[in-house]
Amino acid sequence: MIKTWELDPNFKEEIMNERGGEHLTACFQCSTCTIGCPITEYVPSYNPRKIIQMSLLGMRKEVLSNPDLWVCLICQTCTARCPQDVQISDLLGAIRRIAEKEAEAGNIKIDSSRPIFDKAFQHQLEKYGRLYDIGLAKEYYPKREGSFFKGMMAMMKDYKDFGMRMFKKGKMGPKAMFPEKVKDLAVMKKIFGEMGEK
Amino acid sequence: MSVTKLAYYPGCPSDATAIDQDMSTKAVFEKLGVELVEVEDWNCCGAAEVEDPELVYALNARNLAIAEKEGLDIVTPCSICYYNLERSNIALKADDKLRAKVKGIDSSLDYNGKINAKHVLDVFVNDIGLEELSSKISKKLNLKVAPYYGCYLGRPPETAFDDPDDPDLMDKLIELMGGEIVPFSQMKSLCCGGPLMMTRSDIAFEMARKILDTAKSAGADCIALACPLCGMMLDGKQADIEKALHVEIDMPVVYITQLLGLALGIDAKELGLDKNAVDTKELLGKVV
Amino acid sequence: MGIAVIGGGVAGITAALDLANSGYKVYLVEKNAELGGKMAELSECQMGLSPYIAKVSNHPNIELMLSSELESLSGSAGNFKLKASGKEIDAESVVLAPGYDVFDEIAKSYGFGSPDVVPSLDFEGILKTVTAGDSGKLVRPSDGKQVKRIGFIKCVGSRCQENEICSTACCAYTAKEVWDIKERFPDIDVYVFYMDVRVFGKDEELVADLKDKYGVHYIRSRTPEVIPEGDTLTVKFENLEKGTIDKLKLDMVVLAVGLQPSKTLGRLAEITGVNTDKYGYIETGITSPIETSVPGIFACGTATAPMKVRESVGLASGAALKAAVLSQRTEPIPGQEDRKYIEVGDAPPKIGVIICDCEGEVGQTVDIPAVAERVKGVKGVELVNSETKTMKEAMSAIEGGIVDEGLNRIVFAGCSPREYEDVVRDACANAGLNPYLLEFVNLREQCAWVHDKAEATDVAGNTLRMAIERAKYLDEIPIVRYPVTPKALVIGGGVSGMTAALGIADTGYEVYLVENEPELGGGLRDFTELQSGEKASDVLTGLVDKVKSNERITVYTNAKEEDVRGRAGSFKARIVGDGTDEEIEFGACVIATGAREFVPEGYLGYGSDNKVVTLSEFRKAGKSDAGTIAFVQDMGPNEGVVNSKSTSIEVVDSALKVKEKNPDANVFVLYQDIKTYGKWEAIYKDAREKGVIFLRYDKKKQPEFSNGILSVFDVIFNDEVQIKPDQIVLSTPMMPADANERLSKMFNIPLKNGFFMEAQERPKMVLTPVDTINEGVFICGSAVYPAMIDECIAMSTAAASRANVLLAKNFLETPAVSAVVDDLICVGCGVCVDVCPVEAIALTEETVPVVTFGVATVVGGLKKVAKVGDGCIGCGSCASYCPSSAMSLKYFKDKQLYAQLDYAF
Repeated sequence: MIKTWELDPNFKEEIMNERGGEHLTACFQCSTCTIGCPITEYVPSYNPRKIIQMSLLGMRKEVLSNPDLWVCLICQTCTARCPQDVQISDLLGAIRRIAEKEAEAGNIKIDSSRPIFDKAFQHQLEKYGRLYDIGLAKEYYPKREGSFFKGMMAMMKDYKDFGMRMFKKGKMGPKAMFPEKVKDLAVMKKIFGEMGEK
Repeated sequence: MSVTKLAYYPGCPSDATAIDQDMSTKAVFEKLGVELVEVEDWNCCGAAEVEDPELVYALNARNLAIAEKEGLDIVTPCSICYYNLERSNIALKADDKLRAKVKGIDSSLDYNGKINAKHVLDVFVNDIGLEELSSKISKKLNLKVAPYYGCYLGRPPETAFDDPDDPDLMDKLIELMGGEIVPFSQMKSLCCGGPLMMTRSDIAFEMARKILDTAKSAGADCIALACPLCGMMLDGKQADIEKALHVEIDMPVVYITQLLGLALGIDAKELGLDKNAVDTKELLGKVV
Repeated sequence: MGIAVIGGGVAGITAALDLANSGYKVYLVEKNAELGGKMAELSECQMGLSPYIAKVSNHPNIELMLSSELESLSGSAGNFKLKASGKEIDAESVVLAPGYDVFDEIAKSYGFGSPDVVPSLDFEGILKTVTAGDSGKLVRPSDGKQVKRIGFIKCVGSRCQENEICSTACCAYTAKEVWDIKERFPDIDVYVFYMDVRVFGKDEELVADLKDKYGVHYIRSRTPEVIPEGDTLTVKFENLEKGTIDKLKLDMVVLAVGLQPSKTLGRLAEITGVNTDKYGYIETGITSPIETSVPGIFACGTATAPMKVRESVGLASGAALKAAVLSQRTEPIPGQEDRKYIEVGDAPPKIGVIICDCEGEVGQTVDIPAVAERVKGVKGVELVNSETKTMKEAMSAIEGGIVDEGLNRIVFAGCSPREYEDVVRDACANAGLNPYLLEFVNLREQCAWVHDKAEATDVAGNTLRMAIERAKYLDEIPIVRYPVTPKALVIGGGVSGMTAALGIADTGYEVYLVENEPELGGGLRDFTELQSGEKASDVLTGLVDKVKSNERITVYTNAKEEDVRGRAGSFKARIVGDGTDEEIEFGACVIATGAREFVPEGYLGYGSDNKVVTLSEFRKAGKSDAGTIAFVQDMGPNEGVVNSKSTSIEVVDSALKVKEKNPDANVFVLYQDIKTYGKWEAIYKDAREKGVIFLRYDKKKQPEFSNGILSVFDVIFNDEVQIKPDQIVLSTPMMPADANERLSKMFNIPLKNGFFMEAQERPKMVLTPVDTINEGVFICGSAVYPAMIDECIAMSTAAASRANVLLAKNFLETPAVSAVVDDLICVGCGVCVDVCPVEAIALTEETVPVVTFGVATVVGGLKKVAKVGDGCIGCGSCASYCPSSAMSLKYFKDKQLYAQLDYAF
């Protein structure tokens, strides 16, 4: 049961103020996004339509702590098909960013390793201007597993075979051990400083 | 031919997991007489992991600005890089305030919206054109191919240059080269699962398997694709998928640039065809 | 001069016929080589439309310009100069009816090229072939396999980015197609995927029947893909109760594709200078639904918005009236000329047999020369002509035969009498032969369409021979004419009644306008502002002033009509009211009694809690200070009531206005289906974007209000949502006017749920939205179904046009085919009185000769005898029930029928 007077009626504006969230209220709950979404086959509870309705009603906490936010593939199928141009892919991105901020502030807990991965990825860009796979793995796994040791074990499990395969094919040579850096790293710092999440 | 020189944006995997795509792209353009000038000191486009659109716009303003200084349109073989470059290009062209804001970060981000961002497939089919390509093709691909487009060529509508559900630019190209398209319509633009590879590999593997299985049961000799993340998922991770899901797939996966290179008569090694994770030797025998 | 009608679809045809039948010259310009437009492509509709096409094609007042396109237009109202495919036309006014095109950028995800996924228009074609074919099965295009499970997906190419508005017609035409399937193939499972079911009035009942009686599955999901898997099609949908995405395997899928403005409309607007709206339709207003931005140019049908056939036809008749008002009648009205008939009497039959190929429809199955051989040389047959290919050729053959060869009986064999009987009878009459000396044989439906070649030829020969035998016994039936009273009675003084009255007065006839309330105005008095922003009082004052100052209109308020007698063209009634008791005569009548809001006593505490108000009370109050306000749509009994077509539009419009005035207010709309049809879809979007929250409830789980808490089970959300509203606004069903019961009996027009029924020619299709089964009596506005002001105005203008067609005639003919009593035989048993459906027979006691057998004397005496009155409709019930064969029906006399049957056995 949902008691509307206990909800946050400003939540929809909060989302709409984020870039990508602007079209939230155009939704008319037709289910196009949810029916066509490839992830529903694997995560039956996944329902962007419902996430939108919850957002419209102001169910801020329930939306932001919904783990399904983090299984979105950003494949844009929903955005391409949405009859009302809700731009659901971007909209969910906007909601995820609010969730990350709330999680960082300690207000909610996110039951997914995806934010850790995304953050680790962004840190590589901030540091090097380009993706550094090993740096990413070295940050992501320990954070995900809670300790450096456990992280390294998990990484080995995922990447032992793959790494060897890539190495044998000459796709991961000694060169890949070190980051490719953008020369003008100062500008990267500035970009993340100005535009990155604070 | 109208295209003679382009700014080349290789993207992060170009010197590692997608080095084969990088090699074949360069070789093909050279053979076609189009000069590629690598974007000087390019930076990452933000991939799928940077979700804040403004941050994506700022990152790509720099790449676009560098290409703009050369007066060249920017081209990339990577679908996600294309999506980020093009959506930034559209946003920056349309929004003076955004452009000013980005420029305020650093003068190297001063982009005036004078160039276009393109994916290689778009350049091949729509700019160079099938007629021109046909005149340069010297070999026939006796291959049954499953063309896999992934997410960002036909979606989202803002940046798409092909049909969202049943794209066909790659089909046209493959048929031009003598290849046969296997029934694969519904898989063409279904996500490969790549974005969840690091956080929900269970799902990602199942998604990739569906695509690989369909290609196999359709009788394809190989899958052709145009994105390094899809390549990593379907080719690089194929053995992991086989192991995790206890299946045997053994489906060669090649970049469309590699196939085009073969048809243009370029040496397989120069196209990095020895670097694909699933062996491609059998395919080479069918190129005559 | 005359009137140029651009477009020969159902709207153009309707406008042209109304005009031509009331004495105006019409130039009908159609870009295709054939008339009929999109409607001719629809399986059921083609059948309904073809008689009209036949009439247009043979109308002396219509100049048909096929394969022609409008090239230029100059001049102004009263004096336009047009050029169409090189030909110049002078016209006083112009009617634009270019029709629509279907949305053609269907996403490939619907079937990925599978031939078993078909757009609705193609499916109509499939249905048509199933009608004509002999397989009796619905098979799918790919492999001819019998269809066992079929899906319909609605809103393909409408209510979307590419076509923002609602196409209005799809919900109803889908229901009709589904009904068609279930009627003919009850074993097929049907699934309909929808967002909102936007049907109204009778269609609403049809959909309820489809769900409840026919077991059709209506599934609320806008499903975006149809995936071929093996030899079936997979469709996914959201199972709202289980919270899962479920899959269905189907054999075939029909896409209910949306409508768009005709591709020719852009150029047409450029040439004529009429404004178009942002969706590309011709711009009209809600109080001027027919007028374009250029005076003298009128628009109708789907040129102004997507709509169903019914509404298109209504607008078209309305446009005809508007065009007529600006023009001069210059042409004679067919059938009104003086006719002299050859006296046939007892002269031996000289029968002419005309066999028509009907443009191949007959000839491709029936061997016409062989049939002709069978009847040549038959006694009494003077002439056999089997060479005619079209109706035009057949008609000149008939006329020639009568005039030159002196034929005195005609046997025509060809197309369906339903389409051509009038036309052929007219041909006989034109040549001076009594039109009832004609016998009509249907070689199409009864031979060509239902038999193989050999059998069809055999049956055709036999039927024709039988017809010849009957023709020998046909008698002349005297044609009786009576004068038309050029006046009209309009009942109801609301917007519809006033509009109808003004329309009729504008064409030159006197009108009695009777209103039972003390003042004119009707339901519009409950409005402060219209959806367009116009002030209701301004609109009303304008209309009332026009009516009151019109010399041809006599207004009676506080009055009602009583004791109606007579028939079309010649009615009589009494008007009784405050100090009035007047006998009036009129030729036509328009009923425009309107509707009123249901009082939702007890619903959500209405009546006991002053937080709860009705929509009209809310509107009258004009403002609301509520911080949280909930609109509840469709509050009233579930059965036996009618929701206004504009319910959703009014609710959404009101909710939107609250939010616009007070952006901080929490505004909820509780609904079952949001029915913002057509361009009104835009206000639904606007309301959502402004922050109105929509919650969907099911009629089985009604919202409840107690202790200040409004609880609603949101079916899309699958959870109960509770609101603490400061105000609740109920939108309720509409109730018929109290007078309807009385008027229904007085005029013999049936009611449904208290609202008047139109004459319906075919099931599920309305081509005559304002005509009734009682000729000369028309209905319009919310007396038919509660609707928005634009539609009421359109329909009442249409009613005026229909009245004009009738009043323009000097004479009408009494029905020729009627019952006659043989006084000598009648025993006065009264069976005929009981079976007569129109109460046209009475028993009288009069002096008649009584024949006594055996004593061979004839004595005058008093006995009861049946007497047939004016109201006889020629149904024949009395003749078949009469135990003593005293009753017979002209044109169907025993000797005629026996002669026909004798040949067969």
